[in-house]
Amino acid sequence: MNIENYEVPVSIVEAVQSLQHGDATILAGGTDLTPQTTSGAKEFLRTLINIQHIEEMRGISVDDGRYRIGGLTTVTDILESALLAAEVPVLVDAADHFASSQIRNAASLAGNICNASPAGDMIIPLLLLDAEVELAGWIDGTLSMRSIALIDFFTGPGKTAMQGNELLTSIVFAAPVEGFRAEFLKSGPRPALEISMVSMGVAAVQKEGVLSNVRVAIGAVAPTPIRARATEAVLEGQLLDESLVDEAAAAAGREVSPIDDVRASAWYRSHLTGVYIRRLLNVVGN
Amino acid sequence: MSLEIEIKFSLNGRQTRLKVSPTMTTLAMLREKLDLTGGKLACGEGECGACTVLVDGHTINSCLMFAVDCDGRELQTIEGLATDAGLEIVQQAFVDHGAIQCGYCMPGMIMQARYLLDHNPDKGRKMTRDDIARGLEGNVCRCSGYTKVVDAVAAVVLEESPS
Amino acid sequence: MSAAMEKSLAKKTVIGTRVPKPDAPDKATGRTRYINDMVLPRMLVGKILHTDRVHAKIISIDTRAAKALPGVHAVLTGDDIPELRFGPTRDNFPLKSKKVRCIRDEVAAVAAESEEIADQAIALIKVEYKDLKPVFSASEALSKGAPVVHEDHPDNRSLYYEFSHGDIAAAEAASDIVVEHEFEVPYVTHCCMGPSCVLADFDTTGKLTIYSQTQYPYNYKMDLAPALGIHPGDIRVIQPPVGGAFGSKLDVYPFEPICALLAKATRRPVKLTFSREEEFINSPTRQPVEFRIRSGVNKDGSLTFRSVDALLNNGAYTSWGPTTPVIQMRTFTGHFRVPAVEYKGLAAYTNNVYAGSFRGYGNVQATFVTASVMDMLAEEVGMDPIAFRLKNAQKSGEVTPQGSILDDCRLGDCIEIAAGKTDFLSKHAANIKNRDVPGTRKYGIGIATSIHNAGGAKIHKSDGCGTILKLDDYARATLITGASEIGQGIDAVLSQIVMEELGIPFADITIVNNDSALGPWDVGVHASRTTFIAGNSALRAARAARKQVLDAAAKQSNVTAEQLDLREGHVVQADNGVAIIKLDRLLRQMHFGEDHELVMVTDYYEPNSEPEDRNHVGNLSASWAHGAYVAEVEVDTGTGEVKVLKITAVQDVGRVINRLGIEGQMEGGISVSLGYALSEQLQMEDGKVLNPSFRDYKVPTAPETPEIELHFVESDCKEGPMGAKGIAELPAIIPAPAIANAVYNAIGVRFFAPPLTPEKVARALHQASFQ
Ligand SMILES: Cc1cc2nc3c(=O)[nH]c(=O)nc-3n(C[C@H](O)[C@H](O)[C@H](O)COP(=O)(O)OP(=O)(O)OC[C@H]3O[C@@H](n4cnc5c(N)ncnc54)[C@H](O)[C@@H]3O)c2cc1C
Ligand code: FES
Ligand code: FES
Repeated sequence: MNIENYEVPVSIVEAVQSLQHGDATILAGGTDLTPQTTSGAKEFLRTLINIQHIEEMRGISVDDGRYRIGGLTTVTDILESALLAAEVPVLVDAADHFASSQIRNAASLAGNICNASPAGDMIIPLLLLDAEVELAGWIDGTLSMRSIALIDFFTGPGKTAMQGNELLTSIVFAAPVEGFRAEFLKSGPRPALEISMVSMGVAAVQKEGVLSNVRVAIGAVAPTPIRARATEAVLEGQLLDESLVDEAAAAAGREVSPIDDVRASAWYRSHLTGVYIRRLLNVVGN
Repeated sequence: MSLEIEIKFSLNGRQTRLKVSPTMTTLAMLREKLDLTGGKLACGEGECGACTVLVDGHTINSCLMFAVDCDGRELQTIEGLATDAGLEIVQQAFVDHGAIQCGYCMPGMIMQARYLLDHNPDKGRKMTRDDIARGLEGNVCRCSGYTKVVDAVAAVVLEESPS
Repeated sequence: MSAAMEKSLAKKTVIGTRVPKPDAPDKATGRTRYINDMVLPRMLVGKILHTDRVHAKIISIDTRAAKALPGVHAVLTGDDIPELRFGPTRDNFPLKSKKVRCIRDEVAAVAAESEEIADQAIALIKVEYKDLKPVFSASEALSKGAPVVHEDHPDNRSLYYEFSHGDIAAAEAASDIVVEHEFEVPYVTHCCMGPSCVLADFDTTGKLTIYSQTQYPYNYKMDLAPALGIHPGDIRVIQPPVGGAFGSKLDVYPFEPICALLAKATRRPVKLTFSREEEFINSPTRQPVEFRIRSGVNKDGSLTFRSVDALLNNGAYTSWGPTTPVIQMRTFTGHFRVPAVEYKGLAAYTNNVYAGSFRGYGNVQATFVTASVMDMLAEEVGMDPIAFRLKNAQKSGEVTPQGSILDDCRLGDCIEIAAGKTDFLSKHAANIKNRDVPGTRKYGIGIATSIHNAGGAKIHKSDGCGTILKLDDYARATLITGASEIGQGIDAVLSQIVMEELGIPFADITIVNNDSALGPWDVGVHASRTTFIAGNSALRAARAARKQVLDAAAKQSNVTAEQLDLREGHVVQADNGVAIIKLDRLLRQMHFGEDHELVMVTDYYEPNSEPEDRNHVGNLSASWAHGAYVAEVEVDTGTGEVKVLKITAVQDVGRVINRLGIEGQMEGGISVSLGYALSEQLQMEDGKVLNPSFRDYKVPTAPETPEIELHFVESDCKEGPMGAKGIAELPAIIPAPAIANAVYNAIGVRFFAPPLTPEKVARALHQASFQ
């Protein structure tokens, strides 16, 4: 459809007012939107809303043990954040495996989440952190906010629990507990600029060989990024030894439902799942 | 009549004002409306970097950026890099080190190299060849095999770093 | 003689120095106007409707809605033009009117005022098809009752090549060890960064000016004319700067005549440009081949015979791909001393896309096979990979069964240097030991070698190049050459040759080589030939100009021309360098003095090579070069990822002219071969291309680029300009099998089909673990 209006809100309130009829396309960094609209995979709606000027949606902060990352924060911002590097390095690590310098400079965190690709790389570490997303809407003439767990946000490839009149304003998560170690791995001989065939994060607290707070998140092996709950259950509270690693790998293998596509076969995705969980447990458990 | 938006921005240091359709890319605007053909359309998908320009000091793939989003920003293209005094130091290094063959990728590659040099995330440390290669990972070159590109940037690292 | 003239100028050579390309500054600043950047007044945009079928009868094409769209100036289908055949075997048509044979097929084209309108018009064209049974594999295409791709080739057989030397059966019977292997090499594509583009413009008298990316402007006219039904003489080819070529522009492809037909129909300039997706689907590929190779060796390590069957998937039409056996065969029959050799290569029509020429021209495929087999044979006889190769390497003076004269053969030297520089044998042995040590990181080292034509290739009746060289009144030189510049740097090489002979600075030389109306004939930039052939022609022209100048100077100064030299813009005494006269002054005296002499020379150089006879025998190239490359890799046995750590390339180059340029050719070629080894494959399924984007077709990027160490062997080729050989293809040929051999060294698994993707390696390791 032809775009009839172009709007540039400078606040969340302005943005959700423009969005209220649900007949608008949100533009952030455009790194997904441009290729998708050019190829015809996605159509523009009546109004194009450029949210890039909403300053309150940028930045990384921590307040009373809760981290908040503004939706417009770019992947470069995350990569270069001294705070995150010190406190939540897994996010920085995932950012380092993300696309290229030019894309990272444009790509927003909210865009990566809202695009809802099963292979979205920033989603994996956020799932390890039990992150929530905050959604803003305009209901009955006022700003209305709700938040939902990131894991519940994804309903299918490219599909989310967000309404057409909502805006993802920020991502929040609690500071990791003492001793929490989270690690990320992504497939591909290239360091970045590669769509994940499999990406995986594993996190846990390890004390005298026993794992607690175990979280396993896997990308590109199911219609959405997943938390591998059964695998987590296998590991939780257990002494990490070789047989437990084998068990976890077997459990993870059962939890993924990969497909064959042009990038990899289902077999290879399953295989990588096994390789990665072993490697990640090796690191996290040490 | 389809919608046209008036935008104003700084282009290579000059204020520019023009009207663009909301779906036009920055690359198309530069090439078709402003006759700045240095940046190339080589993929249109963010995969090759041939269209790289600096926006507010950060490189982006101009094939992915909406032209309307240039409003109020500062753009620098390859055409704005050289001065009356001659080639900019990175451009000269690319020439001297034989990095340029067909040259099609080079306006984008050089913009990214300039950004990388100005934006070494690890400021205290001189960039290594591996750092340089990683910094250029979004720029495809089919001719050079990258070695001379990295040579050129490494030479500028030495030249520009205070000894 | 004035005091200023008494300075002494020492002889300095520029040969072997590092000279930046003259066009580099404009390319670095974005000033260069590539063909893709060109706009002519009143220019229209051309666009092609490609079919979405792979084999179908065209029932009808409805263009009414497209024609009615405002801003559309022409809509053409095959019915609007006479049935014009073109291509090396005349089996292709600009627009297909009766049936489509592959996914590329062009069924209609539009010329419109803008890209958007052209796109809309294309979307409005309705084509009705009746699908026909397709055939995709070459072997199926040759079986009885297979669907017929071209009615005039009911057996689907396209081109066939055969060569045999010696008694294969007897050699086989007498061999201690005989092995047979099958290889399959994939579809890969050039990925020129500048997408395909052409701009056609007819003048009022019906003459065509075509702005083209072509690599062979002179024969291009001959090949384009039949597709347009006009006289080749009425075509002028202008070659603006291009974004890469690598062999992809050595033929006429349908978009070019289509663009010209649109220009003719609209009487306006029309420009047609591929999107990246169109580029992946519609531009030529490297020739995919299935090989069966039988080889024999005796226990002492001497090769006894080699017999090769090559089955080429021709695709739907014939471009240069199916002719690559001509070069491929030379490697199978002539690389290493093999007493009995035979090669059969058959191309079968299918409903796949079709291949053209691509840097390495058939030898990429042959070298992957021979270099892998050499490693396997060495293991069979229990020799190390170096000793086994050295034992079978030819020596200078040997002639291969097909008649390649190896008069300055440095194969042995290349192998020895490569092994020495890399500490090959100790690493090789250590890596084998390390295979069984626990851990997922395995290291490997591998070597590969090959031979390639290094002095052109006489595949046409002439392999020549012409030059016009003139000096003006200010001692500025203009060199008009037939040789095309596609980024490879012939402009710098020819400038150096002129500098060397005429003693004038680089900045005072202009190379003109972009207009077929100005340039003298050249066969094209291919076959690693341009430094050799155009270089020789430029050298001869420069020497003739030099002679003319020195003769005139000698006449004035009562010495012989032999006693004089040209240095730094002066005529000097050769023995002591004392300047006699400034060159520009002398030129003006020649020009405006009594003799009215203008320095303006022409040359046409034809190399002393021979076309092959009917049996494929003849010294096809004026020179041959060998190279030996070593790859060192790290293999992750969990993920299957192969990382190339280092390539050490030892290359016979004859002589280095432009060190910067030759290093660039080597490094760029190695990068292309790295992609062939590890990541590049155009995935074809039922005739369709599944990965037409850089997202899913992975060309190497900077971080994957290994350390590269280059060693040049300077054999000083007798026939080459300044002793140089042409080598631009070998670096794109040899690394891939060196990498595959290194992977074998690391993990003990042999790969018979590149690319060695992580998945393929992981799968092979997984399977091996169950054996
Ligand atoms: C070459 C290339 C390489 C890539 N590599 C990777 C990679 O390695 N890993 C990876 O994960 N991704 C990768 N991507 C995908 C992409 O860059 C990311 O998904 C990016 O984070 C999207 O952010 P954006 O700001 O550009 O979003 P946009 O393109 O602007 O928007 C994406 C979608 O989200 C919607 N949207 C954006 N912001 C909001 C908001 N605040 N509220 C509601 N809806 C919103 C938009 O309407 C649109 O539908 C790559 C893309 C390209 C082109
Ligand atoms: S053209 Fe923009 S990244 Fe390739
Ligand atoms: S120089 Fe040709 S693509 Fe980079």
